[in-house]
Amino acid sequence: MQPAKDSYMFQMIRCELVDAVGAEFVNSGSADGLGHSIDYYWIPEMWHDRGNEPQRPDFVVHPGSTEEVAKVMKIANQYKIPVTPWGGGSGSQGGALPIYGGIILDMKRMNKVVEIDTRTLSVTCETGINAQHLEWAVEKAGYSTMHFPASIACATIGGFLAHRGTGVLSTKYGKIEDMVMSLEVVTPTGEIINTLPVPRHASGPDLTMLFLGSEGTLGVMTKVTLKIHPVPESRKFHAFLFPDMHTAMNAGAGLMHSRLQPCAIRLYDGPETARLIKRVLGIDREGAYLVFGFDGPEEIVDLQMERACEICRAAGPKEDLGGESGEAWWKNRYKFFYPPYMFHMPQAFGTLDTVATFSKIENVYWAMKKAVEENFPEATFIGHFSHWYDWGCMLYARFIFEKAPEDPAEAAALYNRVWDLAIRAAIREGGVINEHHGVGLKLGRLMKELYGPAMHVLEGLKAQLDPNNIMNPGKMGFKGV
Amino acid sequence: MNIDQFTEVIASCRFCFMCRHLSAVGQASCRESDTPRVRALIADSIRKHPEKLADADFIDTAYRSDLSGANRFHCDGYHDGKGYDEVGLQLALRRDIVEAGNAPEAVKTLADEFEAGASWQVSGSGDVLYFIDHYTAGTPAIAESFGRLAAKKGVAFRTITGGCIGKALGVLGFADRAEAAAKKFAKFVNGLGAKTLVVSNPAAYDALVNDFKSYGIVLNIKVMHSSEFLAGLKLDYRLNGGAVNYLESDFLKNYVKNYPYPKELLKQIGVECKPFGTNEEESYTAGEGAVVLPRLHPELVGMLAERVKELAEGPLVTASPYTRKVLGADILTLEEFAAKYAK
Repeated sequence: MQPAKDSYMFQMIRCELVDAVGAEFVNSGSADGLGHSIDYYWIPEMWHDRGNEPQRPDFVVHPGSTEEVAKVMKIANQYKIPVTPWGGGSGSQGGALPIYGGIILDMKRMNKVVEIDTRTLSVTCETGINAQHLEWAVEKAGYSTMHFPASIACATIGGFLAHRGTGVLSTKYGKIEDMVMSLEVVTPTGEIINTLPVPRHASGPDLTMLFLGSEGTLGVMTKVTLKIHPVPESRKFHAFLFPDMHTAMNAGAGLMHSRLQPCAIRLYDGPETARLIKRVLGIDREGAYLVFGFDGPEEIVDLQMERACEICRAAGPKEDLGGESGEAWWKNRYKFFYPPYMFHMPQAFGTLDTVATFSKIENVYWAMKKAVEENFPEATFIGHFSHWYDWGCMLYARFIFEKAPEDPAEAAALYNRVWDLAIRAAIREGGVINEHHGVGLKLGRLMKELYGPAMHVLEGLKAQLDPNNIMNPGKMGFKGV
Repeated sequence: MNIDQFTEVIASCRFCFMCRHLSAVGQASCRESDTPRVRALIADSIRKHPEKLADADFIDTAYRSDLSGANRFHCDGYHDGKGYDEVGLQLALRRDIVEAGNAPEAVKTLADEFEAGASWQVSGSGDVLYFIDHYTAGTPAIAESFGRLAAKKGVAFRTITGGCIGKALGVLGFADRAEAAAKKFAKFVNGLGAKTLVVSNPAAYDALVNDFKSYGIVLNIKVMHSSEFLAGLKLDYRLNGGAVNYLESDFLKNYVKNYPYPKELLKQIGVECKPFGTNEEESYTAGEGAVVLPRLHPELVGMLAERVKELAEGPLVTASPYTRKVLGADILTLEEFAAKYAK
C-alpha cells in the first residue's frame, strides 16, 4: 500500500525520487496524472468518457539515463511501490496503465540515437525514442529501420519491444523481435544487465527473447541495438479483388509458399472490404481485397511482381485492380487509424488479433466470427490478415458495437464478455491470444488458459526477477498487488 | 464555454495519438500532458466537470502549449485539408480560463502590459509601410537590412513602431482586448493612406491576414511578409550555389499554409534551401506560435531552443525574428541574409 498523498511518507519518497532524477522530472500534477491514466485501451477511454476518473499514478518520473532508471527501481523496491513503464502510451491492451497507482516510469527523456553502425547495419538507441523520430534519424543516414507500424508516430521503440510490435513490412523484414540484436535492461531490483551482442549464438538460452514481450513486468528495457537496412531502390504494390476470403487466402498462402518474399501482404474480408476499403480507398466492390508488395532492386521487384500476379491470377480473382490500387493502399496505409476513419466513441470496438498456421487460420477466423455474431447480434465483425509468415498469418479481426451501454459497469462487462468468448474460440482452433498488441490488462486473465502448466514457468521467472512484485503488477496474467 | 465550439476536435483528439511526434513542447519536456491528446483530454474533463477550469495544473498546461500549427497541418494531410483544429481548441480554452477569472497573475500582467503598449508611431515617407513589431525591434539588424535592400531599388517607406496589434493578447486568451487592439491598429493604418504594409514577424503577418479577418476588420492596404516584398524587388545577389539550413516559420508554413515567398527569396539569392532537422513536418521555431512563451515559460523555450541547436548543422536562416531572438548566435533572418549578399 502506498502512502497517502497528504502523508509525510509520500513526501519522503518524493524527495528520494527527486534526488535520483531531478526535481523537474518528478511530477504529481493533475494534467500528467490524467494523461497517464488513459492509454489506447477502450476501457479507460470509456471510463473517462462516462465522467469517471481512471486510476492515476502517484508519481510520474522521467529518468534521463539507465543509471537513473536503476536508482528509481531501487527506491521502488525499498518501499515496495509499483512501477509501470510508459513509452508513448498508445498501447491498446492497457499494459502501461498504473492500475495500482505508484510510479509511472515515463521513458520519453531517454530518446537518444547512440550510434548508427554502417558497417554492421545497425542502430543503437535509447528505448524512449519515438519510432518515427528514430526512422527519420536513420533515414537521414541513408538507411531505414523498415519498421512501419500504424503507431509509428505515437509509440516509442520501447513500447514495440515490450509488446512484440510489428510493422506493415513485417512479411519481409520481420516483427520487432526479428529486428533486435541486443538489449540493455534494468532488472526490477535495479541491476543493469546486457544481453549478448548478437542475436544468433549457441551460448545458452536467449535472454533477449525473455525480455521482448514482457510488457514491463520483468524489467525496464533501456537501450536496444536494431538491424537497419538500405533504402530499397524500388517498392511496388498490386491489388486484386477475390470473390471471397477463402479464395483470396489461397492466393496469399500461395504467395508465401512461393518464397518470393513479399514485403507486405494484406487481405481484407468481405465486410471490411465493403466498409473500410470503400471508405478510405474509395473502392466500392463486393469481395475480398488482397494487396501485396515487393521491394529491392527494380528488376528483381518487377520479376517478383510478375510471378506473384501469375499466382493470384491462377487463384481465381474476381478483378485485377492493378498497381494503382496497390499504390493507393500503401499511400493511405496510416489513414485508417486517424479520426474519423478509426472507430471511436460512442462505438465500442476492439482488435481481436491472433495468429495461426495456414491450416488453421481460416477456422480461427470463422470461430471468432461465430462467437461474436451469435452472442452479440448487434455487433459487427470484420477482419483482415496483415502479417504473413512462411507458415501462416495474423488475423486482425475487429468487433464494433455502434453504441455501448451508458452505464460504465455494464459497458465493461459487455466488452470483456466479447473478448472472453472470441479469444477462447481462437485458442480452441489453434490461435493464440495476441499477435502484436500484447496482453496487458485486457487479456491477462486468459494467459493461464493459453499457456496451461507452462504459465508456472513464466510465473517462476517473474518471481525470481521481481521478488517484491513491483514491476507492472497485475498485467500479463501475473498477480496483482 | 468557448471550448463547446470545439466538441468535434475534443472528441477526435482526446484519444488520438497520431500527431504526438510533432508536438514540439512535448518533445522538449517529455511530459505526456504537453501533447495534443492530453490537452484535448483536459478540455474534455473541464466540459464534464466545469470546476476543473480552476485546476492550477490544467491552467499551467494550457499556457505551456507552443500553439504550433504543425500538428494541425499534419492532420490536414489526412483529412483533405480539414484536419482537427487543436490550436483553435487551445485558444478557446485560454479564453475560458480568462473569462472565468482564472488567468495566472503572470498572464494578467503580460496582458496589461501589451494593452498599454497598443499605440504606434510613424516616421519616414512613402507608400510602403514597414511595421517593426516587438520581436523585429529586438534585433535592430533586421530593420536595418530591410532598409538597405529597399534603398537599392529606391523604394521609400515609412516605418511603424510600437506595440501589440492584438496577437499577443489573443494568444493569452483576452479575446475582447485583442479585438480592440486590432481595430485600433486597423484604424491607425487605414488612416495613413499607404498602399502596402510589410511585416517581418510572421506572427504579425498571421494576425493581419487571419485574425483581423476573423474580427471582421477590413484593411485598405495590401499586407505582405517581408520575404514577399523582398522577392518582389528582384535584386541581384553575389551568391551563386551553396546551401543554407532554412528554419521554417510555424506561422508561414503551418498557419498560412506553405507561404511560398521565403523559399522564393532564397532561390533568388542563389542558395539551395536545405530542410532543417530530420523531416519537414516538425516545427523547429522554439515556440513561435505561442508568441509570448519566453515571458511565461522561459525554461521551456530554453529546452526548445537547445533541441534546435543540437540538430543544427552550420549557420541557419529563418523567416522569424522571434526564432532569431530565441536561438541567438549563428542564425540570420531572411532580411539579414539577403542584405549580406545583395550586390
